[in-house]
Amino acid sequence: MSKTLIDLRPVYVVGIGLHRYQRMSETTYVDLGLTAVREALADAKIQWSDVQSAYTGTVFIGMAASRPMLRHLGATGIPMAQVENASASGSTAFRQACLEVASGISDVALAVGVDKPAPLAGAPGKTNIRDLVGARVVPFTHFALLCNDYMNRNHVTAEQIALVAVKNNRNGAKNPYAQRQKAVTLEEVMAGPAISGALTRLQCCPVGEGAAAAIVASEDAIARLGIDRSRAVRAVASVTRTERVYREAKNFDAELTGETVAQAYREAGITARDLDVLELHDAFTIEELLYLEAMGLCGPGEGARMIESGAADIGGQCAVSASGGLIAMGHPIGPTGVGQIAEITRQLRGEAGERQQPNAKVGLAHMVGVGAVCVVHILRRD
Amino acid sequence: MPEQVVAQPGLYTGTGNPPSLKGGRCRKCGYVFFPPQQYGCESCGAPREQLDAVALPGRGKLHSFATVHLHQGKGIEAPFTVGVILLDDGPAIRSTLTSRTGEGLQAGDRMNATMVSQGHDEQGREVMELRFEKSAR
Repeated sequence: MSKTLIDLRPVYVVGIGLHRYQRMSETTYVDLGLTAVREALADAKIQWSDVQSAYTGTVFIGMAASRPMLRHLGATGIPMAQVENASASGSTAFRQACLEVASGISDVALAVGVDKPAPLAGAPGKTNIRDLVGARVVPFTHFALLCNDYMNRNHVTAEQIALVAVKNNRNGAKNPYAQRQKAVTLEEVMAGPAISGALTRLQCCPVGEGAAAAIVASEDAIARLGIDRSRAVRAVASVTRTERVYREAKNFDAELTGETVAQAYREAGITARDLDVLELHDAFTIEELLYLEAMGLCGPGEGARMIESGAADIGGQCAVSASGGLIAMGHPIGPTGVGQIAEITRQLRGEAGERQQPNAKVGLAHMVGVGAVCVVHILRRD
Repeated sequence: MPEQVVAQPGLYTGTGNPPSLKGGRCRKCGYVFFPPQQYGCESCGAPREQLDAVALPGRGKLHSFATVHLHQGKGIEAPFTVGVILLDDGPAIRSTLTSRTGEGLQAGDRMNATMVSQGHDEQGREVMELRFEKSAR
């Protein structure tokens, strides 16, 4: 019979590190990645030689990204591989590291996400299946269409949706790793420029460069390496699913998120009410509302009201996108999912400073990616 | 009358009133889909031998729409409006609408396909593209 993560031996996040997400610069991907990994090693207070396996989540760097970067920590000969899963690449790298430790194959594994924007022809465009709109519909229009449908169905205004950007930029302003670190008013968000449908520029995530790292370890390794047990955060669910066929223009992003998160709740033995912090795929404001509803943090059609009520603020029922989310912290693609793990770990340790959600015990990280794929992790402070 | 060609012959013929789309139907499970493909049924996995071509009349209901204000694509001039249309024969499709700014449209509107001239190709033939517009009735 198949098993879930929690059936295997416990796996803990013991070290986190980031390179700030930022606009494309001259910095090499090697420097970006090493900054994050060195910070994670220092955070865990372990040596590179203690790490037994490495997964690099990346989309744009190109073939064989891992060793040309990681050899500068000392070429220890450990297994390394790249993980590509569109926007969920970093999340999937983290999952592979967790599974490797939970299965007992490694005691200490690294997940690092690193990327720099570059032109890339994705595989879906190589299937030879064309549709009517082709390149006219890019992601922001895909979500602008969902935005229009959401506004019609729930009698929600463009301003109510834009409030997500106000909240997430307010959080991002307190995050030294965020690409956008400036609080904005609703008027500034609404002032545009208009991009597609009701979405304005500040409601769309910036895609820049950066890196994020998370080191996971077994209980054996924590004891053997003298890692501070009180700062270790356990991964209690790791679930990934792909899109099925949903009839009648059902919103596949929300459907897929709903079923993936439901499975993660079951595996972790929790409900939406148990979540204290949530990092979700808010590449566009509308997504935060759709996913809050799909995850059961509020009822259908109540997402906008939940944001307005402050329940998703730091200090509210559940701090949603406390890092700033993709909208403010940024979405450098490969790093994004690992960066979510770093934020949740920091929150569950009580080390998030100005962004701290009081007494945070349970957190969920959620990414979706082209394909479509969805990856969800639940972390818990023991 | 000058010769005409359609912009995407794999997706529509440009004939019929309203013009039809080239869809597919699975003989095994009945799943109707657009755009057409021959790799296998996404719903049940039946191979290409089980996939029939089917004409989907360009008639349906507007589900949602968005006006694109900014686009960096080559040869794509903003603003233009894209809609999700629930075809009467099943699939939900995305199409460019005849209305550039989406003015006067609302979800639930009846929509028809229509052929719109996109100028001429190198051989001087008029290139016709399928778009959707609000039904007159």
